[in-house]
Amino acid sequence: MTSIGRIWRTSTVRLTALFILIFVVFSIALLAYMAWQSSLAIQRQQTASIQRETAILMRVNDQQGIRALIYSVQRLSARPGPGIYYLGDQLGQMLAGNVSDMPAHALQQSGYSSFSYTRPGALDSNGSEENTEGFALVQTTFLNNGLRLVVGRDIIERRGYSAIIFGGFLFGVGGIIVLSAIAGGLTAMRVLRRIDTITATSTKIMSGNLSERVPVTPRDDEFDRLATSLNAMLDRIEQLMKGLKEVTDNVAHDLKTPLTRMRNKAEAALRDESAHESQRTALEATIAESDQLIRTFNALLMIARAEAGAPSGAFSDLDLSAAVADVAELYGPVAEDAGMAIEADAGEGIRISAIRELIGQALVNLVENAIKYAQRSASGPGRITLKVREETGRVLIEVADNGPGIPEDERARVVERFVRLEKSRTEPGSGLGLSLVAAVAHLHRGTFRLEDNHPGVRAIIDLPRSI
Amino acid sequence: MKILLIEDDREAASYLIQALDEAGHVTHHASDGETGFAMASGMEYDVLIVDRMLPRRDGLSIVESLRAEDNRTPVLILSALGEVDDRVTGLRAGGDDYLAKPYAFTELLARIEVLARRSSPGEAATSYQVGDLNLDRLSRKVERAGEAILLQPREFRLLEYLMKHAGQVVTRTMLLENVWDYHFDPQTNVIDVHMSRLRSKIDKGHATPLLHTIRGAGYMIRD
Repeated sequence: MTSIGRIWRTSTVRLTALFILIFVVFSIALLAYMAWQSSLAIQRQQTASIQRETAILMRVNDQQGIRALIYSVQRLSARPGPGIYYLGDQLGQMLAGNVSDMPAHALQQSGYSSFSYTRPGALDSNGSEENTEGFALVQTTFLNNGLRLVVGRDIIERRGYSAIIFGGFLFGVGGIIVLSAIAGGLTAMRVLRRIDTITATSTKIMSGNLSERVPVTPRDDEFDRLATSLNAMLDRIEQLMKGLKEVTDNVAHDLKTPLTRMRNKAEAALRDESAHESQRTALEATIAESDQLIRTFNALLMIARAEAGAPSGAFSDLDLSAAVADVAELYGPVAEDAGMAIEADAGEGIRISAIRELIGQALVNLVENAIKYAQRSASGPGRITLKVREETGRVLIEVADNGPGIPEDERARVVERFVRLEKSRTEPGSGLGLSLVAAVAHLHRGTFRLEDNHPGVRAIIDLPRSI
Repeated sequence: MKILLIEDDREAASYLIQALDEAGHVTHHASDGETGFAMASGMEYDVLIVDRMLPRRDGLSIVESLRAEDNRTPVLILSALGEVDDRVTGLRAGGDDYLAKPYAFTELLARIEVLARRSSPGEAATSYQVGDLNLDRLSRKVERAGEAILLQPREFRLLEYLMKHAGQVVTRTMLLENVWDYHFDPQTNVIDVHMSRLRSKIDKGHATPLLHTIRGAGYMIRD
């Protein structure tokens, strides 16, 4: 049922249905016009032959007399066909003709009239006469000798002709509807199949397998052209991603190596016991600065990696409740020393498919931020709340504090790289913490947002239940 | 200790060899993967330090081949890559520990000393003793000078790790990795806070401190 529904929703089937409708309406109009026109033409033709025969018979009557007229009418009547002939006197006595039950109204006045009658048919195999019902269009003429001459044509045959046209119409239109419905359905199914392969490919690509390609058939139709250009685009994207990865790898390697050397040299100098205390302080500061540089650098690389997506093999089943409780436990003493409390309401055994390292790093970033800012709270002692909540199809990780909060118009901006609010410039930090959290949320197909905690900030990582 | 360093960056290698020499270790050096593998499989070493990106042969493939030959020498993998699953692939290939560049020499030294010890027997001790401090792994009880010390489960694991490596420097990162199973760098001094709590439970009221802070490196427990 759903697959029929799917086929019905395709544009091909809808177009086919529309075309069938247009075609049927057009065919009906065309055939009606044809039936009407041919009926008119036949009528004109019949009227013309009625008039011609009447004229001939009148001439026979005028020139050769009644006997010849009777003979002529008898001869015409004997001919098979739609011809109707009657010759009678004023009293209604039939002298010749092939219609015996001529209605009175057709005899009482001259001119055209029509009526139904019983037509004596040909002898059948049993020897009895087969009578047929007929409908006649006749012209009645009063001859100068008082006789009534009726010449007409059976128009049942004309109706039969219309019936043939109508039957042909039904057969044709019906056949076309059935055939085009089948053709439309088949085309739609084929189109759907092609589209489905493209959809399947793009799903695989979105889940991180960049080397997938849309299959191209040797038919070289419009789908193959679409597939070819999609594949060209995918090649380009893969190339760019690879380029990005290479650049980050090279930057990582080329910048980290001199950093390592710098740090090593400072360390080596520090091991030299003869160094002055002031020199040692300078060297230790150098090491601390280079460590901070390395940390910023690692955070940038981590964000770039997370944004580039991760292979599906990197994801594993994670007990989020335990992970959040662990972070709360790890930072509990730190918060306590800073005069704050961390509360965790992590639920029981809430599991998601995730990269543990990255979720952990994101949680740590949020908690460290909260510790940094909640302690400046004016509304009593600092309090940080970690929460894991389940909603239909989603898992929400909340880290809330009761610090000074972030103005609403700046909440989106603080997630950007290197953005630090004016009042936090004096705090240590790189301005990358929340960017990393957002990148991690996106990597897990989720979102990251900041809300007002009245007072304070509530940071929410909103993840889908299954990835 | 006899160490094999497989590293193509000559300057980093010469610095490392000199620093290891100062720390009292003998270091052999190979500057490409093939030579490194030949040396590692042909000679006995206490620890191998293998860079991941090497000319002629990848660091991970060296480790895999050594493990396939049933060579159990502890391996520390060095890498300048920042890949999310770098550590996992490194350890899966048969590495025992993983260190991202740039690293502090003290960090590397602490790790290889722990690695070298790991391969020696006596691993499955049921209790540890440092001075008058005793930790029983089975009953999960800690005593100092006969007096019971109550520890939180995490504090117990912290002390257990320190005592397992008594007399060796353990760095903050090592503690974070082995006690909390986190492989990242926190900005704050989160380990120091936990250590100072543990120290107040272990050393407070005793004449000789057991828990020592090693400046610029980490911590050590010894009598």
